[in-house]
Amino acid sequence: MKRLFIIAFRNLLQAKQRTLMLSLALSIVALLLIILLALSQGVANTMRKSATILVSGHINVAGFYKAKVDDSFPLVTNVKQIEQTVLNGLDGIDYTVIRQRGWGKIISANNRIQVSIHGVEIEKEPGLKSRLRMALQSEYKEGGQNKALGDINQLQELDTVAIFAGQAKKLEVDVGDPLTLTTETLAGRVNTKDVRIVAILKDMGFLSNWTIFSDTRGLKELYQLNEDTSGAIQVYLKDPDQAEQAMATLRTVLSDAGHDLMEHNPNPFWQKFQIVQGENWTGQKLDLTTWDNEVSFLKWAVTGLDAVSLSLVGILLVIIAIGIINTMLISVRERTREIGSLRAIGMHRRQVLLMFVLEALILGVVATTVGACTGAALASLVDSAQIKIPSAAVQAILLSDTLNLTVTPSQILKTIALFTFFSIGASLIPASRAARMEPVKAIHHVG
Amino acid sequence: MRYFVMLIFAALAHFTPTPIAAAPEKLSSSEMQELLTTIDERQRNGGDYKALAFIEQKERGKTDLLYETVIFRRDEDDKLMILFTKPKAESGKGYLRLKKNLFMYDPTVGKWERRTERERIGGTSSQRADFDESRLALEYEPEYVAAEKLGRFQVHHLKLRAKPGVDVAYPVIELWVDANTKNILKQQERALSGKLMRTAYYPKWNRTFSPSKKAFIYFPKEIRIYDELEKGNQTLIAFRKVDLNSLPRNIFTKAWLESKSR
Repeated sequence: MKRLFIIAFRNLLQAKQRTLMLSLALSIVALLLIILLALSQGVANTMRKSATILVSGHINVAGFYKAKVDDSFPLVTNVKQIEQTVLNGLDGIDYTVIRQRGWGKIISANNRIQVSIHGVEIEKEPGLKSRLRMALQSEYKEGGQNKALGDINQLQELDTVAIFAGQAKKLEVDVGDPLTLTTETLAGRVNTKDVRIVAILKDMGFLSNWTIFSDTRGLKELYQLNEDTSGAIQVYLKDPDQAEQAMATLRTVLSDAGHDLMEHNPNPFWQKFQIVQGENWTGQKLDLTTWDNEVSFLKWAVTGLDAVSLSLVGILLVIIAIGIINTMLISVRERTREIGSLRAIGMHRRQVLLMFVLEALILGVVATTVGACTGAALASLVDSAQIKIPSAAVQAILLSDTLNLTVTPSQILKTIALFTFFSIGASLIPASRAARMEPVKAIHHVG
Repeated sequence: MRYFVMLIFAALAHFTPTPIAAAPEKLSSSEMQELLTTIDERQRNGGDYKALAFIEQKERGKTDLLYETVIFRRDEDDKLMILFTKPKAESGKGYLRLKKNLFMYDPTVGKWERRTERERIGGTSSQRADFDESRLALEYEPEYVAAEKLGRFQVHHLKLRAKPGVDVAYPVIELWVDANTKNILKQQERALSGKLMRTAYYPKWNRTFSPSKKAFIYFPKEIRIYDELEKGNQTLIAFRKVDLNSLPRNIFTKAWLESKSR
């Protein structure tokens, strides 16, 4: 086996130009696949990070309240008691927060935008405070200073909001400026109030385009809600990967505590209004979702990227396979007499086959490792550079305003394994042709 | 429609027999304060006040709404009540202002809820201040913008900013006051950001003699309100049957309003 490996390696070295060209092709495609996978993983990571900071806990205990059968209010009543039940009944909770949810417009003197409003008690949200970053004034204002203004802690004052840099730019506002917040109350009436910007935050991708934070008291006033009614209890777990199992446990806990639960629907709460409106019940029902459910409408980005990556790499792999088959067939033809001699001095058919397969294996492992590692290094470099994406359309597809690429060791290993396996597969036809040669005919082969 | 209102202003001015006055002179700070006090005083009865008010709401893409309401005021105690009487579905609904608090009662749920100054009365573009006594001099600091013409009327254009700590619907309002009659002709209300929220026109003013005040009190016969955020939405308030006789003592209570829907 060792001897065959040496022969295969020497054969590759002998045909330097051919080996180099094939290696280069394999490396480039492996590099491309790694970068595309890193991009897809980056989008998935951005989605999870943005979702769990901005709009969702790892699990959400939300629900709908119906005073009349055709109502559909996304509210949880007796929210503090339910929060206590959650805390008592589920292990592995890091912390919980109660978030008020709203939808409306923020209006400046010059512009207006539709936003999802999250009423927060900032003093009780250490996770949020630690993960939000203040934007430099120069990021949203032409000629602005290279320092961050405002203080997110002021969000505990009444009638205050924190908005994102992209929104501040569009609204042409700065920290301290007033904005008008307008929403439709549950009674179907438009209500407005003036609020003060206390912080302008660094953009966090697609979701931050239409998310703002407001003090929860002010938002409750705007919606005319009482103290113990809110939008959702967001549960943060020590191990976010346990969200699905934890949600199942929590469903049992809440059901045992006497709460009515909605059938699990893995979609964000705002996609359920019509469904709930059509259901024949009144009162309060709880609805449990994971962060994944709340941003399921964004999964098209990851699915789309994966589909494009796999299609592109698939096409390139077919081209490379044809290249490998063709090159190795030429190699077999060129080395026919050599194969005949090897067979004449006692090499078995199987060993000939193995020799050619080993050539493909060495080629696949070396070229793909070089390509995958170069791709990983390149992806890490691009990620650390935090390159700004200039096009809004591309930002929407990648769910971020900067280029985020994440490479994992498993991606590299899988790529190397896939490409090596593919190279071996492609070498089987020429290798079996070589193995089938009759020694006498092969020795007398001319050309 | 807004242009139609402006045309009314122009036409009224045109057919007014009094000669068109020269451009009014800029008002001093004390004169502006005096003007606001005059506007307030002329609408203030001192005793009780009752009026029938029709509120018509037009919204783009929706059916027009028409409400019949009765307005009760006791200015000396800062009390106001708006009672919805028609249509039947809204009958018994009402608002009650007690000192600085505005409450709303909905008989379908049987609950009272506190409302803000920006509460849109009955979901229309009207607000509490449109029905209440005028408190401009008390609540705002005036600033003179210009002596202008509004249609053919000579007007004082003032910008009023809310005094610190005063709870008003909008912190900035602009007034166009007829220099001759001292009636408000147009009012624009702005949010703190400066965004224009509402424009109201007062094309007709009436007056009636008040026995308790022993003087005439003035009231707008109609107010046309244009929502500047939701363009195309507008509200017309028409005041009819103003009655300045004394009202029963117990009328400004939650119990009284609740009894109207039993």
